[in-house]
Amino acid sequence: MSQGVEPERQPQQSVGAGGPPTSRRRFLSWLSRAFLGLWGLGAAGAIGAYLRPPEHGPRIAERIVRVGLLEDLRIGEARLVRHGVTPFYVVRLDAGRVVALSAVCTHVRCILGFDRERRALTCPCHDGRFDLAGQVLSGPPPRALPSYTVSVRAGEVFVQL
Amino acid sequence: MSDAPRVGGTPGGGDASGGGAGPGPRGDWVAWLERRLNLTETFSFLTHFGLVWTPVDTSRPVREVVREVASQPVPAYARWPRVLGLLAAILFGLEVVTGVLLAYYYRPTPEAAFESTRTIVRDLPFGWFIHQLHGWGAWLLVIVVAARLLRLFWDGLYRAPREVLWWSAVAMAWLVLQSDFTGRLLTWDSRSYWAAVRGMEVVFALPVVGPLLAFLLGGRVINDDVLIRFYALHMLVLPAGFAFFLYLTFATLRRVGLSPEAPMHRGAATTLRDHLYSMLILSVLLFGVLTTLAVLAPFRFQAAADPYSTPTGVRPPWYMLAPYAVIENGPGPSWLLGLLLLAVAFAVLLLPLWAPRAAGGRVLGRMRLWGLFALAAWTALSVLGAFMERR
Repeated sequence: MSQGVEPERQPQQSVGAGGPPTSRRRFLSWLSRAFLGLWGLGAAGAIGAYLRPPEHGPRIAERIVRVGLLEDLRIGEARLVRHGVTPFYVVRLDAGRVVALSAVCTHVRCILGFDRERRALTCPCHDGRFDLAGQVLSGPPPRALPSYTVSVRAGEVFVQL
Repeated sequence: MSDAPRVGGTPGGGDASGGGAGPGPRGDWVAWLERRLNLTETFSFLTHFGLVWTPVDTSRPVREVVREVASQPVPAYARWPRVLGLLAAILFGLEVVTGVLLAYYYRPTPEAAFESTRTIVRDLPFGWFIHQLHGWGAWLLVIVVAARLLRLFWDGLYRAPREVLWWSAVAMAWLVLQSDFTGRLLTWDSRSYWAAVRGMEVVFALPVVGPLLAFLLGGRVINDDVLIRFYALHMLVLPAGFAFFLYLTFATLRRVGLSPEAPMHRGAATTLRDHLYSMLILSVLLFGVLTTLAVLAPFRFQAAADPYSTPTGVRPPWYMLAPYAVIENGPGPSWLLGLLLLAVAFAVLLLPLWAPRAAGGRVLGRMRLWGLFALAAWTALSVLGAFMERR
């Protein structure tokens, strides 16, 4: 900046810092601060845009999951399908009806277990319970489980997430 | 509950009485903080990193100390001659920041390395810019560290009592070259992969160093084991070493200085405050240069590496062209030539022992002559290596 400032003028300068500085000096320091501030804002914006977690929006083909043959599912039995971050249960209720329910507890995202005797999904973390329609029976879960559309085509079970 | 009003009331009363040094309306947070921790002590820790030469009295308020330090005279010889070391420090900081940003998305496996780098470069917002900043920053860092080595040599700053300065400078140059070499492999594109293969073949052929390096680097074949070790070296070990030698440089500078031939009081050009402002402007200019290079001359990104097909025109990095020319053209087996080069490189470290302190200007002049001769030989060999590549 101002290279010409001699060390001998130092006392004067410190006195001047207390009083009103000259307007050109104030303008220049304001300008450089504004420049650095804008530069910092821009850098923060760029880094923020870079750091934003990329969204892996599932494509239509990935949203339809082939579960398996209907005849392999026994009545009253549930199968856990480990599908990415949205694992789900497929439960065969009787000869024709199959339901698919999320296996992730709505409370703190624990993975639910299947209780065959009571025909319920139970959470090992805080003992939350859901019935096979996804409604909360007891425990801390705040919401019902999401359920997914099941279709059976040519004896094969498909679930649309 | 009973405490709350009392605690809330203290800052208001304390600002009037405890501020002492007359804090302005904007700087109240300094006074607020100073009543809670000794800011002068924190500042005195910062003074370890060069620039401030006077001892700091930690019992005084921080604003007074900072004002006093900022108006210290800075002699002319301490300004631009020292700029190379400062540039190295700034560039190292830039490499750390951009490297951390890249590490958020990079995956060090042969299957994912190229894919993840391409995701950074192609898909993420500003990813290409961060990648190019990292690459060009490394390129400039190699130049700056080499230039700094030349400057220290030219001014004879390897003689006692500055041996530590010289050894740190050599170590930093070596670490920068290693970082550059390990970093090139990480993108796992075909050029970088095959350049690493060729470079490693030469190194592994050395008698004792070769097997040792193969042990340390995870094998003689460049595969996933080697890649993850390169990654760990590149992002953990080598930067830690660089930071250590950077601190060592600052520490020894505080004790022995860089050029005591010129006395402190003569040629006091400016104050420390203005000096810092010039360095700030220099950093902004450096960023401008890097941005220009990143936009106008981006590093090309080739196809993914295929271990079963070697592309044509794989060339060593520019700083390896001279050793490359010697090993390809020199008489004798390559391991012997490699050992010879290694011995020459290590001889640089012993320079302080050959130039005793008592030696006057005539010895310094002779050393300069030798240095010029070595530089000319190196340049000629590099040109030879470059032309060998063209053929």
